[in-house]
Amino acid sequence: MLKVVVFIKQVPDTSSKAGVNPDGTIDRARAKRMLNNFDRYALQKAIEIKRSVGAEVTCVTMGPPPAIEVLVEGLEHGADYGILLTDKRLAASDTLATAYALHKVVGYIGQVDIILTGLQTTDGDTAQVGPQIAERLDLPQISYCESLTITGKTAKARRVVEGGFQNVETAMPLLITVANSATPLGHKRFIEVAQVKEMLRTPEERARRIKSVSLDDVGADAARTGLVGSPTVVGKTWKLGEVGGSCKVFEGEAVETEVARLLESLAADSRNIAEMLHG
Amino acid sequence: MKRIEYDVLIVGGGIAGLTAAHRLVDAAKTAGTPLRIAVVEKAKNFGAHVLSGAVSNPRSVKKLFPDYETNGFPLEGKCAESHLTLLGAQRAKDMPFAPPEMNKTGYLILSLSNVCAWMAENLVEKTKDTAVAVDLYNGFAAQDILYSGQRVTGVRVDDTGAPEQDNCYAKITIFADKGLLSRDLIEKFNLAQSNQTYAVGVKEIWETDQDFSGKVWHTLGYPLMDGNFGGGFIYGLKDKKLAIGMVAGLDSENPNLQPPQILQAMKKTPFVQQMLKGGKLARYGASIIPEAGWFAMPKELAVDGAMIAGDAAGTMDIKGFSGVDKAMESAMIAADVAFGALQKNDISKAALAAYQEALLDGWVGQELKASRYYRHAFHENKALFSDYLPVVLKGLDKGCMMSGGVKAFFSGPGGLISGGLNLLKLMGGGGSGELRLPEDRTCPKPKHNAVPLAEPEGFAKNSVYLTPDMVFYAHTHYHHGNDHIKEFDAAVCKKCIARFEAGNNPPPCVGDCTADVHSVLAKDGAKSHQMALENCVQCRTCEIVCPEKNIRVNPALHGSGPDFRGL
Repeated sequence: MLKVVVFIKQVPDTSSKAGVNPDGTIDRARAKRMLNNFDRYALQKAIEIKRSVGAEVTCVTMGPPPAIEVLVEGLEHGADYGILLTDKRLAASDTLATAYALHKVVGYIGQVDIILTGLQTTDGDTAQVGPQIAERLDLPQISYCESLTITGKTAKARRVVEGGFQNVETAMPLLITVANSATPLGHKRFIEVAQVKEMLRTPEERARRIKSVSLDDVGADAARTGLVGSPTVVGKTWKLGEVGGSCKVFEGEAVETEVARLLESLAADSRNIAEMLHG
Repeated sequence: MKRIEYDVLIVGGGIAGLTAAHRLVDAAKTAGTPLRIAVVEKAKNFGAHVLSGAVSNPRSVKKLFPDYETNGFPLEGKCAESHLTLLGAQRAKDMPFAPPEMNKTGYLILSLSNVCAWMAENLVEKTKDTAVAVDLYNGFAAQDILYSGQRVTGVRVDDTGAPEQDNCYAKITIFADKGLLSRDLIEKFNLAQSNQTYAVGVKEIWETDQDFSGKVWHTLGYPLMDGNFGGGFIYGLKDKKLAIGMVAGLDSENPNLQPPQILQAMKKTPFVQQMLKGGKLARYGASIIPEAGWFAMPKELAVDGAMIAGDAAGTMDIKGFSGVDKAMESAMIAADVAFGALQKNDISKAALAAYQEALLDGWVGQELKASRYYRHAFHENKALFSDYLPVVLKGLDKGCMMSGGVKAFFSGPGGLISGGLNLLKLMGGGGSGELRLPEDRTCPKPKHNAVPLAEPEGFAKNSVYLTPDMVFYAHTHYHHGNDHIKEFDAAVCKKCIARFEAGNNPPPCVGDCTADVHSVLAKDGAKSHQMALENCVQCRTCEIVCPEKNIRVNPALHGSGPDFRGL
């Protein structure tokens, strides 16, 4: 059976108002937490592989202890195992340090056929960690993957490129970053959610399915992670303000008339905006 | 594959469902017995589909959480100042005499959605390191009731097609679903007595400049001047927030109630304008209220393997707007009986019937019985409000309520006195015979001629919104392919549209919609019914007022719907 690893991350909930600390960093303690939206596409790909050709899916995340929530979420969606890499020394890791730590987790797991990651995170927005892991592991990588076909130990993928798409084919093991134009994550199934709830209540089973590991467990050098291992310097962060607006509804007439009115209104609005911008 | 089975399955994570769950956990912990409980809730998060006033008598909260003042229970405040206010287009004045049930001093001011969210979270903490297991299935809607012969064995919550994957089984199922699914149970076992009388409530949360915490107003008058039952409410919450809403009876002859616009009209009055000045709309939502009480409760509240509690059982008492406390009490009794039945290993209808007995013999039954004609009193004496109230309010707007009162009196003393006496008699419980209430759907009249409202002057536009604008503040999200409202026959809708439009009215589904879902589409000279389901706040008004019973609102799947957090 194929072994699939999905890297996922817990990020501040984009729909809640995350505060900004006086030093410019995000106030993560106050923010509500969620699974990084981009990772949902990667998780979906893993579940699709599992349901089509059969695979053992392991979700891996790095973060403080509450990040275990996204592993449980992954399991509820149908993943088999979860690994949380958590260590105080990881705090303030940039992409270089993060990719270093995460590639060590792959070594810890052992033999892996496919590594899936999201495109990027909603809190960092770098899109660098996936490709960096592939480089560190010296694996072929398919970035911006939209659709995927698995035959034996070969992966055929369609990837998004500027102005179109590209079909590529490579042998496993490999790393794939999944584009957000791929299939969105499906809904959880009742049976899987119920089984995960039961599993969480059984300590031995829980320990077997969800593992929490430290830098030492995965054999990573602490000096290459965290703030000391991160050459990136964060400059200034500031709040851009809030979005608001009001909507106008066109109704009561035939659709054609309403569309004409809508277009007229949009044209008027764009004239106003143009005037506003160019005086 | 092993089937998923619990001791107790609770359908609906509203105040009744979560109260039952808490009570069961408490009972099992005290007795030291293991117990497996599941709660299925259609909303993505607990509380997201819960909307209520809410100013509640503290008795039930105190019974369930004796330490509610210190245990983190989310209170919005305690009522320190209670008003029953006559609202005119220009002025407002407290009524010189108010029925005692309208004095809310000392009552709890709640955001029921916040309460439910807290109760769900607290429930999980409560069971840590105990033999009691509570599994919360938010985002899973109960879609069908499962039976084994005549015994309820659970509900279907998923649709993969494999029964062992989709079904949630239980020894006892408690329906606390506001009727969304339990109506099927009531129909199957023929449990209905009278029809239910519903009202629709629309509500907004405002962040205001001024602090109104602890203050409660119930308003009568503007803009509901046509004799239809209803009124407004304004509750001051903590953190400079204000809950403001309007409730209108659906047993109205007017097929074009436009509930959101009624609320907008109320907000235009100077009395409300001065409260909202400088404020900001935070959230909008709508919900229905089963108001009929005693006569509309199901004949039996238990069948083999199942019980019905809260609004699903019609425990709301319109006298004093006592809904939350009675729903909680019914759920606590249901939970106690369910726990006892499990201990004795007897889940038959006969064993569960002790629930109904205890509920009706207790204060819930006594109060509901005493007020059994209360709502009907208003239905029967509509003229009192349509003929006399506007005259009184006109006097009030001119600066003297007394003069209005005197004028109203002499405009028809006979009707006022006999109507008034009849109203008071019925409100006090002095009626006789069983009531058979009309179905709300039979009330709207195609030719109803609504009296145009006198518009208050000088209102600030920023506190008044279009319905589509307000719907934005309900934060609705639906999954791809959602079709939770079923229209059975398009031809029936076409005829209904023609009938109502001939009377210069929209059909009731359009006229009474709270979220701009229903509309009439004109195309190629033909008119048809269409729905913008992505707006829906799941109040179910359309189903209740559809004259042809041509609409059914099913629970939306995959956690779809509005987000009422804070309402």
